[in-house]
Amino acid sequence: MDRAVVGEGVDRVDARVKVSGRAAYPTDHDPPDVAHAVLVQSTIAAGRVAALDTSAAEAAPGVLAVITHENAPELCAAQGEGGPVPPPPLQSDRIVHHGQTIAVVVAETFEQATEAARLVTVLYARAEPVVDIENPRAEHVRDPFGTDDATGDVDKALAEAPVRVERTYRTAANTNNPMGPFATVASWDGDELTVHDCTQGPSRTRSDLANVLKAPRDSVRVLAPYLGGGFGAGLRTWQHTVLAAVAARQVGRPVKLVLTRKQMFTSVGHRPDTRQTLRIGATRDGRITAIDHEAWQTLSIDDANYEHVSRCSLSGYASPNISARDVQIRLHVPSPGSMRAPGDAQGNFALESALDELAHELGMDPLELRLRNHADVHPVTGQRWSSNELRACYRTGAEKFGWSRRDPEPRSMRRGRTLVGYGMAGTSFFFYQASCAARITVTRDGQAVVGSAGMDLGTGTYTVMTQLAAELLGLPLGRVRVVLGDSSLPRAPSAGGSGLTGSMGSALHDARRNLIRSFLDLVRDDTDSPLRGADVDDVRVEDGRIVREDDGRGESYTEILTRHRQDELTAEGSAEAPKEDLPVVPTGPYAAKFAEVHVDEDLGTVRVARLVTAAHCGRVLNEKTARGQIVGGTVGGIGMALFEHTVTETRTGRIANGTFGDYLVAVNADIPDLEVHFVGGPDPTSPNGTKGCGELGVPGTPAAIANAVFHATGIRVRRLPITLEQLL
Amino acid sequence: MDESAAAQARTAPGQRAPGVARVPVSLRVNGTERRLEVDTRTTLLDALRDGLKLTGTKKGCDQGQCGACTVHVDGRRMLSCLMLAASADGREVRTIEGLERDGTPHPMQEAFVRHDGLQCGYCTSGQIMSAVALLEEGRAGSDEEIREFMSGNLCRCGTYPHIVAAIREVAARGDHA
Repeated sequence: MDRAVVGEGVDRVDARVKVSGRAAYPTDHDPPDVAHAVLVQSTIAAGRVAALDTSAAEAAPGVLAVITHENAPELCAAQGEGGPVPPPPLQSDRIVHHGQTIAVVVAETFEQATEAARLVTVLYARAEPVVDIENPRAEHVRDPFGTDDATGDVDKALAEAPVRVERTYRTAANTNNPMGPFATVASWDGDELTVHDCTQGPSRTRSDLANVLKAPRDSVRVLAPYLGGGFGAGLRTWQHTVLAAVAARQVGRPVKLVLTRKQMFTSVGHRPDTRQTLRIGATRDGRITAIDHEAWQTLSIDDANYEHVSRCSLSGYASPNISARDVQIRLHVPSPGSMRAPGDAQGNFALESALDELAHELGMDPLELRLRNHADVHPVTGQRWSSNELRACYRTGAEKFGWSRRDPEPRSMRRGRTLVGYGMAGTSFFFYQASCAARITVTRDGQAVVGSAGMDLGTGTYTVMTQLAAELLGLPLGRVRVVLGDSSLPRAPSAGGSGLTGSMGSALHDARRNLIRSFLDLVRDDTDSPLRGADVDDVRVEDGRIVREDDGRGESYTEILTRHRQDELTAEGSAEAPKEDLPVVPTGPYAAKFAEVHVDEDLGTVRVARLVTAAHCGRVLNEKTARGQIVGGTVGGIGMALFEHTVTETRTGRIANGTFGDYLVAVNADIPDLEVHFVGGPDPTSPNGTKGCGELGVPGTPAAIANAVFHATGIRVRRLPITLEQLL
Repeated sequence: MDESAAAQARTAPGQRAPGVARVPVSLRVNGTERRLEVDTRTTLLDALRDGLKLTGTKKGCDQGQCGACTVHVDGRRMLSCLMLAASADGREVRTIEGLERDGTPHPMQEAFVRHDGLQCGYCTSGQIMSAVALLEEGRAGSDEEIREFMSGNLCRCGTYPHIVAAIREVAARGDHA
């Protein structure tokens, strides 16, 4: 190849279909004779449905069915492959949160279903809801993930530490709110179910649906070639997806169910709010001797959510004494779920704020404190990192930002009535890679088609897999087509944990090896082939050809297939998650974040003026899309820091701001140009060399901003979002 | 099948249902005369998507708060979820599908591709329709102006800096007419 196809800032391969409006999202599918379903959701948070009157709704024009717990089919509470499936819908009269689905109305048109849904009358038996994380009536689940861990003796080290910081930090509940409202279009053909669904994992949704509906897995097909964002909301098979399938079976027609924006706050997860206590002990010269992190997070009454908030304290800094514990508090709130950098987004805010407080206490530069306590090995297990360029992130980020110009004194860098603050934070994100399969077909005309059930929710999977396949097969980009988002393709993990690129990329390496082996098998005894007798390890690929490493002789895919009268060759491959208990721990991405904020001294308003990220993501497959991931995550982090707050009314459990007008997200005018610098090289854990960059933009951003706000104003804000009343 | 024949062949929303007030509507969409009969409650957005199968225009909130459904009505940007189809009768509507000229993408579409001004792509139609209108309104004179006048279009993937770069480039080149 005369030009590398990997690493380059190649344009997104699905960009044209998206800018022209031609990409078909789940909600754009309209099978013939489709009926429309609309949900009715509870207006109390705790208690039960005492009586339902659906007669007016049933009599309304166009209505085909009204399904409630009184007539819904029995569904199976399933344990899914990727964690528990949300409790199946409409199985009893019990209400455990405001906005719980209690009926689904199916009608000829969307307007008719919407109108009829308003006609369902509900009599509730109301109980007192518990919706506050600090409510003593709430049930506490300790060590919910079995991840609490400790090394050394934290209490003793803290008692002996010359310098101590002990603080409590709070982060608000956030709602994912992808721009595309989640939708399901379900069609039955006999016992075969086809579902267009807003899912980040077609393979998982297929098996979950099969389990819940008690159907054979092979009878269910889930399609999600395009998704209007997810940010974690598409990682579980939520109730509306099941209900669309149930409704379609009941009315004997395809059914489309699209959540309203308000229902997006109650039906597809959210980032749980947290209350975290950090205790850090250190010597006067800034050596950390103890880190103690207890993280409380909220959970719904009847569901589970894996969200390891205190994780960052187990791997972040080289302290001989560490204890990190998680507690989940069960409340009458909708099920939380993953939202971009789940757990780490909140945990990192507490840890990196506490570090900043310690630096101030010591009179030490916050960057110097972090360098002095850099974790050269895993602080708890003592394992070496597979790769760790966090120091380079600090160095590059500080230099690009101009950190040395920071006057350490808070409130010292003003411009007129504007208080200027510089703040920074580090991030060590987790590593995730899961079992994945992929298939490659090379056709006689020298084209390749790559297929996997994994999907692209906007992260760039189509593009980077095209690049990777082109590199692995020695083909130009234009000769590779990638097909994704279909559960009938080889199984793949969900797009989550920043792990899909690593998982699918590794599967692609294996599939490519099997494919080349198939080509070599074909010419094993072919006296016309210069590749006769070659082994897969003896060859490389270039310019659409397989060539011998030793003498450079070879031939093209086309020549081999033509001579052997084959239209194409196909091979599958797979890769597993890296083994645990290695001497080297597979290591996730790192970043250092440097923020400049401007605070209006009179009004307390905060603006992010600039934000520099230096990131170590392993091998960067596409500079353009990777940058987009870091930029996008940073925008989400700015939202978490300054705007996003899902407000639940304490008395009723109702979400008080379930609209885009009331739930504030960052808009264009809130975001300055965001600098991203990539440092460090590939990670050796997988042939792919990647570490994942989809979530790295979020953690670190809120802390860097809060630390900059402290530097600007002298006011330490320990509760997100940072609002102006906290600064006046 | 050409576009207008396709529209007539389709069942408009609510046609089968009794007891629903329906009105005939005539729109000029992307330069083509389109007639359909709609439920009086049907928004312009739903009429475009469900009635005319122009699904490039997206529903993000259905409350006029996110900008995903932005189209041009009589040359001005409009949130199609806030306009009833019936009240768009007789108007000129342009959607994302109408931006290409003879199969050539609009310079703004090209710039969004080049600057990676999209990720999931769901808000993209609305962003591009707003961006095109922004230039026509003369509101793209500086980055600050672009950011301010693009703030009615939410992007949850966080591509704002890339969107600004795309608009800045097209504005500077001046070939957007």
